Amino acid sequence: MERYDLIVIGAGPAGLSAAIEAASAGMSVVVYDENSRPGGQLFKQIHKFFGSREHKAKERGFRIGEKLLAEANDLGVKVMLSSTVLGVYENREITVMTASQVNHVKASSIIIATGASENMLPFKGWTLPGVIGAGAAQTMMNLHGVRPGKRVLMIGSGNVGLVVGYQIMQAGCTLAAVVDASPTIGGYGVHAAKIARTGLPFYTSHTIKEAHGSDRVEAATIVEVDKSWNPVPGSEKRIEIDTICIAVGLKPMSQLAAMAGCVMEENPLKGGVVPVCDEFGETSLAGVFVAGDVAGIEEASSAMIQGKIAGAASALRMGCISEDIFKSKCTEYRRSLEQLREGMFAHKNRGKPKESTDEGFKLSQSLLQRGFVADVEISHYPGVPPAEKRARGIVPVIECTQNIPCDPCQDACRKGCIKVGTTITKLPEIDAAVECTGCGMCVVSCPGQAIFLINECVEGDFANVSIPYEFHPLPNKGDKGIALSRSGEYLGEAEVISVVTSRASDETSMLTMRVCGELSMKARFFRAN
Amino acid sequence: MCSASVSDSASDEENIMRIQNHPILKQFEKGKAVSFYFDGRILEGFEDEPIAVALKANGVMVHRYTSRDRKPRGIFCAIGRCTDCVMIVDGKPNVRTCITPLREGMKIETQYGVSKEDQVK
Amino acid sequence: MTKKIIRSKSPNTFTELPDDWIIICRCEEITKGEIRRAVYEGMSTPNEIKRYLRAGMGLCQGQTCSHLIRFIVARELGIPALEVPAPTSRAPARPVEMGVLANDGLKLQAVVN
Repeated sequence: MERYDLIVIGAGPAGLSAAIEAASAGMSVVVYDENSRPGGQLFKQIHKFFGSREHKAKERGFRIGEKLLAEANDLGVKVMLSSTVLGVYENREITVMTASQVNHVKASSIIIATGASENMLPFKGWTLPGVIGAGAAQTMMNLHGVRPGKRVLMIGSGNVGLVVGYQIMQAGCTLAAVVDASPTIGGYGVHAAKIARTGLPFYTSHTIKEAHGSDRVEAATIVEVDKSWNPVPGSEKRIEIDTICIAVGLKPMSQLAAMAGCVMEENPLKGGVVPVCDEFGETSLAGVFVAGDVAGIEEASSAMIQGKIAGAASALRMGCISEDIFKSKCTEYRRSLEQLREGMFAHKNRGKPKESTDEGFKLSQSLLQRGFVADVEISHYPGVPPAEKRARGIVPVIECTQNIPCDPCQDACRKGCIKVGTTITKLPEIDAAVECTGCGMCVVSCPGQAIFLINECVEGDFANVSIPYEFHPLPNKGDKGIALSRSGEYLGEAEVISVVTSRASDETSMLTMRVCGELSMKARFFRAN
Repeated sequence: MCSASVSDSASDEENIMRIQNHPILKQFEKGKAVSFYFDGRILEGFEDEPIAVALKANGVMVHRYTSRDRKPRGIFCAIGRCTDCVMIVDGKPNVRTCITPLREGMKIETQYGVSKEDQVK
Repeated sequence: MTKKIIRSKSPNTFTELPDDWIIICRCEEITKGEIRRAVYEGMSTPNEIKRYLRAGMGLCQGQTCSHLIRFIVARELGIPALEVPAPTSRAPARPVEMGVLANDGLKLQAVVN
C-alpha cells in the first residue's frame, strides 16, 4: 500500500494550490487527476482574471495554470494523470485506477478538489450532433485548436456563457446569439458588453424550443417565455446555426465526498450537493477536506485560496506547521478570499433586486437586459470624465458600472490617474487633475475590456477612440472600416490610426480609430470593410 | 512537433475547422501528421490529438447511431464523461474518441448500437 | 441514506404532456414521459427509477441524467426538488472494466504519465 502525507484528488486550481501549500510545509504529496492533462479548467481559460494582484488579476487562466504546475513540480509534488480515484474509504484510504491497474493508497489527510460538472438542459433535438456543452467548446478550441462549428448559438448568459461566447468569436466562428430564459443577463456586464459591441444579439426571456436537423444541427427555434417560464405562443424565432452550446450552470462534483460518508447538504447558492465543512474546508470526516468548486461553485481565484487553506490545515494536522503559523496564514488567506466574495455577483447578494451600485450610482438596466450601457446612461459613472475634461485632450473613459472585485486598472496607470482604493469592488474613478499621457496601459490591462481612450482634440471635426482588441485578423494602420456603438450598431466610417501590441499587454492590442467628433462617446468597436 | 499548419493537399474542411493562428494562443503545438481510416476513407490528423478532434477537423459529425432509436450521436461533453462520442476503434467498440489519442493507421468506424454496421441484425 | 417519500398528491390518471418525447437518459434513450409514467406507477426516487427503467445505468452511469431525473420526480410528486434524495454515490466513482477490478492487488507494471 502506497502512503503519503497528503492525497489531493483533482489537479485543478484548488488541488494544485493545496498541494503546493502542503509541500512547502514539507509534506509528501500526491495529486491524482482523471484527465490526461493537469490544470482542471485553467488551461481552457484564455481570458484575463479579475480580482486584485494577489488573486492573479490580469493574468490569463492558462498562464496561471502553467505557473502552478511548475511550482508543484519544483516542490516535488507527484502529479499522476489519467488516474481516476474510484472510491474514498475509511481511515483515508483510496483506490485509484491508472491505465488498467487499481492501486490502494493511504494518507494522513485527503483533499477532495474534484471541481464541478455542467448542468444539462434537455430540449427537443438536444441529442443531435452539434449540441455540445460550453466546456466542450472550450476544450476543442483552446486545447486542441479546432472550431466546434461555424455558426454557434449560446444558451445561457452567465459568466461561462458570456466568456465562452467571446472565445468562440476569437476562434474565428460566428456567434449567432446568446439566449437566456431569465429577463436579465446572468454574468458580469463587462463580459456581455465585450460581445454586444460586436453586434451580437442577446435574447433574454427566451429559451430554446427545438434543435432541427436530420444527422446534425442545422437550425434552432427559440421562443420567448413569460414570467412563469411558459412559452409565449407565436413568439418563435428560427436561427440558422450548426452548433448549439449549453451553458446553464455548474454543480459540484461531490460524489467522492458522499460515498466516503461525509455529511452532505444541499445548497442552491453553492450549486447543489456539497459536504458540510468548517472554515478550513474540513468535512465531517477527520482529515478529509474539500476545496474549490466541489465545496460550492465560485471562481478559479477563490478555488486557489481555498486550496491553500485546506493545504495549510492538513499541514497543521500532521504537525508540519505550528498553530501560530497556521493562524496567521489563514487570517491572510481568509481576508483575501472574503475580498472576492463581495460585490453585485457575490453569493450573499444573489437574488436581491438591485437598483444602484454600492456608491449609489444607478445600475444600467440596459446592460442587464440587453448587454450594453445606453448612451444616455454612460456619463453618470465615476470612470467617465466630464465633457470639459474631454475637451482638453486625451482622457481614459472607464465604462465600469457594476461592483465587481477587480482593480488592475488602478495599478496600470503610472501617473495614478485611476483610483479604486482598498475596497476593490468600488467603481474606478478618474482623477481629473492628472494629465493622461495616452500610453494605453489601462486599456489593455482591464480584464473586462471596459476602458477606452478618447481624444476629442483632433484636427478637423474628428475624434480618436482607442479600444482593446483581441480578434484576428488584427487590422492594420490605414485600414478603413466602420465604427460600431456599444450595442453593435453602425455609427459611421472609421479609419485605423494605429494598432499597438506590446509584450506587457499579453496579446491585448490597442486599436485607435478616427471617427467623426460627435461619435467620441459612442464608438466602441471597429469592423474592417 | 510541428505546428498545426495544414498542407496544401489537405481537405478544404480541415482548412475551415482548424484554427491556424489564434489571437491569444497563437500556434497550437501538434504531434506529427498522420493518416487514419474512417469507415474505409483515408483522413489526415495529428498524432496524439483526440480521435474526435481529428474527425471534427475533417467535418465528421456523426460518431454512432443509438441502439434503440437509431439516432445519430456525436461529441457532447468532450471530456470523456458522457460517452456519446464512442466509436469502434481498431475493432473495439465503446471507445471514447474525445479522450483517446490518435495514432497512425488507426481504423475508426461508426458504431451502430454496439456493433459495426454490417453486424446489425 | 435512504429516505421514504410521502406522496403529497396521489396521481389519479396519467396525462401525457407535449414534451414527454424529450430524451432524458441519453445513453439508454429513456424519455421524460417514460420517467413520469414510472413515477405514476409508484417509483418515487431516482434510485428506484434507475432500477425500473435503466435510466442512469447506461454507459455513462448517470453522469448526464441523474439530476434531471431528480427534478422530474420532484415535479411529478409536487414536492420541492430538495426533498427528493440525490442518487446514491457508490464506488467505483467512474465506470471500470471488470477485468481491471480483477487485477486489484496484483503487482502489474504501473503506467505513469
